[in-house]
Amino acid sequence: MNRRDALRLLATGAALQLAPGNLLAALRDARALLGTQTTVRTLDLHQRATVTAIAELIIPKTDTPGATDVRVAEFIDLIVTEWYDAEERTHFLNGLADVDVRTQALFGRNFVDSSPGQQTQILTVLGQQMSEEADALQNHARQYRDSPPQPQKNFYYMLRGLTLMGYYTSEAGATRELDFQIIPGRFDGCVDVRASREEGEN
Amino acid sequence: MRDETTYDAIVIGSGMTGGWAAKELTEKGLRTLVLEAGRSIVPEEDYVEHVPPWEVKFRGMRDRHRQLEDQPIQSTCYACDEWSAKFFVSDKEHPYTTEPGKPFRWIRGRQVGGRSIMWGRQVYRWSDLDFEANLRQGIAIDWPIRYADIAPWYDYVEDFIGISGEPLGLSQLPDSKFLPPMQLNCAETAVRDAIAKHFGGERVLTIGRVAILTKDHRERAACHYCGPCERGCITRSYFSSLNATLPAAEKTGRMTLRPHSVVHSISFDRRTRRATGVRVIDAKTRAISEVRGKLIFLCASALESVRILFNSATSEFSHGLANSSGELGHNLMDHVKGGGAGAFIPGGQDKVVFGRRPNGIYIPRFRNVKTKQLEFLRGYGFQGGGHRQGWERGIAQTGFGPEFKKSLSRPGPWRFTFNGYGECLPNHDNYAELDKETVDAWGIPVLKIHCAFGENEYAIRKDMSIAAAEMLAAAGARDIEPFTDDDPPGFSIHEMGTARMGRDPKTSVLNSYNQAHDVKNLFITDGGAMVSSSCVNPSLTYMALTARACDYAVQQMKRGEL
Repeated sequence: MNRRDALRLLATGAALQLAPGNLLAALRDARALLGTQTTVRTLDLHQRATVTAIAELIIPKTDTPGATDVRVAEFIDLIVTEWYDAEERTHFLNGLADVDVRTQALFGRNFVDSSPGQQTQILTVLGQQMSEEADALQNHARQYRDSPPQPQKNFYYMLRGLTLMGYYTSEAGATRELDFQIIPGRFDGCVDVRASREEGEN
Repeated sequence: MRDETTYDAIVIGSGMTGGWAAKELTEKGLRTLVLEAGRSIVPEEDYVEHVPPWEVKFRGMRDRHRQLEDQPIQSTCYACDEWSAKFFVSDKEHPYTTEPGKPFRWIRGRQVGGRSIMWGRQVYRWSDLDFEANLRQGIAIDWPIRYADIAPWYDYVEDFIGISGEPLGLSQLPDSKFLPPMQLNCAETAVRDAIAKHFGGERVLTIGRVAILTKDHRERAACHYCGPCERGCITRSYFSSLNATLPAAEKTGRMTLRPHSVVHSISFDRRTRRATGVRVIDAKTRAISEVRGKLIFLCASALESVRILFNSATSEFSHGLANSSGELGHNLMDHVKGGGAGAFIPGGQDKVVFGRRPNGIYIPRFRNVKTKQLEFLRGYGFQGGGHRQGWERGIAQTGFGPEFKKSLSRPGPWRFTFNGYGECLPNHDNYAELDKETVDAWGIPVLKIHCAFGENEYAIRKDMSIAAAEMLAAAGARDIEPFTDDDPPGFSIHEMGTARMGRDPKTSVLNSYNQAHDVKNLFITDGGAMVSSSCVNPSLTYMALTARACDYAVQQMKRGEL
């Protein structure tokens, strides 16, 4: 059964006659797979390498895929190119250049050519600075309830946001790292974490 | 396209109430034309609820620049996201105007199914506490109906729709005919128990009452908990006109559904005192035509319906058809929201939910029910719920590397949020009028909306934040954050009251059966008919009133009264 046939079947009310397992299978078959083709348009090779390196340090490959595996840099390039406004774009690219300025000053080389220890040191400093800026916002209104103050203009905060977004909304990030299922089939309001994950792996 | 037919009935609008009018009128034997301004929706092509984030361009971050350009107002609605933006109008094509300093958010959907495709699905009955409120307090005019008049019609529409929820036996929030309730999650159960213990039974937390099936019902399948109903539902598990009432009307063989049909105005015969037809602009070709009908049901939404009537002005009705009272467009209400509180709920770290429940909690109105408040009239209910924080919490953290990644693979702490929805008092000074200087993409004059909350609404909003914080404190929550956001009117998307019912034609537009006092074969059954706003979500009441009005209209027609 192809996708359109499956959807037609479901839309005509046949969903009722299908056994629950078959219903879920039909729903899953019916989903469109559009494919994701992107090209890099704003970041040059060096900028892209720097973004890739930082993203992979934040979300490294372990027993599950990492940021590089799911092409986070391509997603970041898309956002910088088509989603950011001119000011945000400039701010992001300046922040990215500043990472090399820091490593040059400390280690006499660009970030991508620095040792893992040196890179870790830089991320730690960037993180401290991000926290300080967040603390400075403590007394200001929060843009999103539910989350701590957001230093929107901090380059590292911007990059972390895009890295995590790019990773956890990728297919591997959502389904292998988290246990996202498109069609769970039922709702349980309170189950053990372990049981839930095992079910997710079925 | 020239249509020489004289239809038994013309229904304007195919959404929440238009769908019901189409179903009821066709099932009662009337050949019915349904006019819809927007396009057709084909579920197997247009529904996108199972498209995961990695298959949309911006991964759910929305097409920001396109939305800023084309949907600056619509995109303020949570549901107008990267998937569902197509179900909301283009603000450029559908302008309206407001007074400086008096913003009004008008969130609109123009397609077969209207806003019933993206609605919040929360359904609650009104009670006599609501129907009697205006009379008791001497505000505006009295409702011409009481709970007993509408109760059988609630039964009737609920039986068709399928509503899940928990019976509570409360006088201020009568129970519906329920399918089994959805489950509360662990945090919600804990908060429910704490509220029961600390508030002497006056405040009750229950699962939201929703038009979503928890078991198969009338040829529609039970919910499979994929989550984002506002993107459509291929199994038709939640109620929309597209999923349920329009197919029922179609089945009779007596419905003609015409999409791309923008209604300009209604024509009126001075001699017979009857509406005779509807002037329609073809949305694609701009061709103008007139269709004729014996009975007209205006179901285009509270604001859109009065706009049509304003544009139908005659020398006699110079301020809008059926407006001898001068009340048309006035008494515009919404629900006041923006008040509540959020917090972390300790414990439960080893517990999660499975599946995505498209529903939250509900706390029925408790203010001015048993004990009288001094600060404000009427009351509010809370929606909201508990959830565990996701990976987003990692953005503002400073960690990185394998341990950090592992920590984010597990859900974060439990959060809980209460969002109040409060009753808005009817006020003649909140109104919409025709803005003859501005036209939409079809050259039709648009509305200018004048609407602001008053002292009572602000007092309600403030109380929401306090009462919500009290309940979170009782539940042992930490980092409690009460909030009062200045959400403008319109933002609850419950606009109503612009063509109110009443006993006296001098002070109301419609009689107790949604029939225009001035034009006997014209019925308005959308939110326009409301005389007060209650604090509960209104769609269920609109639907019950529509079914009731159809029954009355057909009886009158058979007696030759129309």
